[in-house]
Amino acid sequence: MWEKPKLAASDLQIEESPQPRTLRILTVITVLGFAGSLYLGLAAAGTDILQGEIQRIFYIHMPSFFGAFTAFGLTLIGGLIYLARRREHWDRIALAGVEVGLAFSLINLLTGSIWARPIWNTWWTWDPRLTSAAIMCLTYAAYLMLRAGIDDLDRRRAFMSVYGILAFVTVLITLFIIRIVPETIHPVIVGASPQNAQGGFEATSGVVMALFPSLLLWLIFMPLTLIWHRIRLEKRIEALNRLKTLALSE
Amino acid sequence: MKITITLATFVFALLSVGAVNAQGGEANGVAYFRSRAFNVPILAGWEDQSTETVAQFHLAEAGATIRTAVVPQDDILAAAGADLSAAFGVDFGAPIYQDKVNLADGTWTALIYEANARISASVMARLAGSETVVISFVESDPVGRILMLAATRSDESAADASGEIATAIDRLLDPPATLERQESLALPSGEWLLLSSERYTAMGMVFGNDSYLAIAELAGEPLPMLADAFNRTLLGFFITPDNSPYLALGLAATFIILGTLVGSLFWRERALRKDLALLQALAGADG
Repeated sequence: MWEKPKLAASDLQIEESPQPRTLRILTVITVLGFAGSLYLGLAAAGTDILQGEIQRIFYIHMPSFFGAFTAFGLTLIGGLIYLARRREHWDRIALAGVEVGLAFSLINLLTGSIWARPIWNTWWTWDPRLTSAAIMCLTYAAYLMLRAGIDDLDRRRAFMSVYGILAFVTVLITLFIIRIVPETIHPVIVGASPQNAQGGFEATSGVVMALFPSLLLWLIFMPLTLIWHRIRLEKRIEALNRLKTLALSE
Repeated sequence: MKITITLATFVFALLSVGAVNAQGGEANGVAYFRSRAFNVPILAGWEDQSTETVAQFHLAEAGATIRTAVVPQDDILAAAGADLSAAFGVDFGAPIYQDKVNLADGTWTALIYEANARISASVMARLAGSETVVISFVESDPVGRILMLAATRSDESAADASGEIATAIDRLLDPPATLERQESLALPSGEWLLLSSERYTAMGMVFGNDSYLAIAELAGEPLPMLADAFNRTLLGFFITPDNSPYLALGLAATFIILGTLVGSLFWRERALRKDLALLQALAGADG
């Protein structure tokens, strides 16, 4: 009679793939670049004589939104490709994009609110841009909650891919709403600010010089590095879960 | 890999260029004198006699000086007198005119001093915490006095500042004069009404609930230019707000969120290793 073999401790291993060299370099660049961009925004850039020191938060506030844009964009791409090819790797990218994008958009929302307190004299107002940014954050927070609530792996991946694709609409709305709805007090950096924008930012050469490296860092290096690390972690978590299932089935 | 290194080089080049070139100091395209305590527009064409803490511009041909200082005293009269005496080496004595006026950025006191027949000073002063902001127009013209002041509008429905000009002339000129010629003047500081006679020139500009006035005891050619310069200084004056605690709060929020994200990657990795070790231990015990 055939006897089911016992699971030995040596069978319970997660494949330890070494951290790729590119990822290590990317991590170092990101850390150094983050420190450099902070120096540029907090020390090298001149103080805005109208707004005072709080204007420096702009060098984090605006780039963090674009970092979230990159991350949520990867969620969109991951979702689309997963639905087309059904390869779990793309689902991992989508999940990592949501986690990183949510962190970045929370930074964007909080720094904006903190800037608004001394400039608009309020922590929060139901301005179209602020409201759409809050909805965007809540939509992606719901992604993580919903994902945790679906047990079946394939159903979870397919459902969350669709959700991630649809959720990107909130990103686009947040990005373009101040061009569409003129009743906003949120300043516009590129192009003319709306008539009733309060506490505007003049894109002087000094501001652009301090902003551009920071923008590039948050747009490309920070999301890609963090997402890559998160994907590697997710792969290992999935491997562990498979081992747990295997052990339980014994 | 090559792309990463190229992009990184680009970012660090930008960081270096940015570190050299990032700067501030202009507002709405106007060059400002900046000090720790305040900002005022720089008067082009005037001799800049400013120090690190005092903005002072002098026009020799008109014998005029426009000075902005913050005096560490909370008594407006004492602060204005002390600043004038210290700057011009003359005892200006008590003011011959004193009135309070509410402008957009607070309650200002308009003061006029006459040190002697040669030198007079028009001062706008207000409290800023425990200090006093003193913006003064000092002129040493032996031909006739030039006075600057602001006054609350007596009739807000009036189209121009002629009522406030008449009141100021009654209070300041002896004998009071009637200025029959009238014209309007567009200057960088705003739309002015100019009244004149053989002996006097007066100007008034309406802005909000107040009128900004300039009176000269002469058929004054330089008055529009001087009134414009003084009122550009007065209206352009502002204090950069000290809101650095909010910046610190914003940075703290950024670091906490990024720290939580990066920390969660480490915590989850550690939990994963613990779970794996436990599984292996259980499998070992079974075996």
